[in-house]
Amino acid sequence: MTKPDSDEHHGFHRHGENAFVAEFSESEREVLINLVGQIIELLGERTDSHIDDPLAAMIGITTHDSPPEDEVLLRLLPNAYADQVDAAEFRRYTESTLRTKKYGHSMSMRVALKSSVDGIIELDHDGANDWLGAMNDIRLALGVRLQVEQTSHEELELLSPDDPMRGVYAVYGWLGWLQESLIVALMDEAI
Amino acid sequence: MVKVADKIEEAIQEIFSGDKPWVTIVWDDPVNLMTYVTYVLMQLFGYNREKAHELMMKVHTEGKAVVSTGSREEMEHDVARLHEYGLWATLQRGDQAL
Repeated sequence: MTKPDSDEHHGFHRHGENAFVAEFSESEREVLINLVGQIIELLGERTDSHIDDPLAAMIGITTHDSPPEDEVLLRLLPNAYADQVDAAEFRRYTESTLRTKKYGHSMSMRVALKSSVDGIIELDHDGANDWLGAMNDIRLALGVRLQVEQTSHEELELLSPDDPMRGVYAVYGWLGWLQESLIVALMDEAI
Repeated sequence: MVKVADKIEEAIQEIFSGDKPWVTIVWDDPVNLMTYVTYVLMQLFGYNREKAHELMMKVHTEGKAVVSTGSREEMEHDVARLHEYGLWATLQRGDQAL
């Protein structure tokens, strides 16, 4: 686990009982729309196009019983068992639901961003939970691409300015900080 | 004979004890924020902040922690919800080595 970098951005604040508000610049809003769109696209790549049995499709049984080959998708849709046979069985019955839930979080975030006026986002408690899940999926995806598992914080800090991963790392840090601001606002409420 | 008797006794015990307890394990990963893991454990399991924080610290320092115990079906449900929020979770029999 990790702690976010802090900086001078605004982040989320709680307004009253059930409102969590943040203000984004146009470029920040564009970055967020782009990132959440990529998660939506990625989840959409793993649809159940070959399902012949409409009943199976309706109750969420999928054709997938092997884990995704893409590293990012595998982190978003991980195995539930160490045992491969149990993992495959569980995936067949649950992966479709998991994808739908994640898709729902990301769509909720995207709709809020797309419909915001002057970059102001106001979320209720459910919307905030959607955003937390969606922002976390983005960070998990970026984390895989940045290889945070194998790379130290210091090494990532030292990326050359020409390295495209440097920008990715900056966005990753900013998202962690933004996510943290929303959690702090939500936890205040829980006291 | 003794061996057979032991086996029968074991089988009978299993019938009467029903499902042996299963456990849900959350594993440490370098991306999830410490506050986020605490928050998710509070939301999903209804743990108070202190208990959720304690479990999160166990994951952070020991690499993993059992966050819930129950039947296999219940643990499958818990793992699915943890996956929904991006925590790295698995389930297994409670008597298996972690």
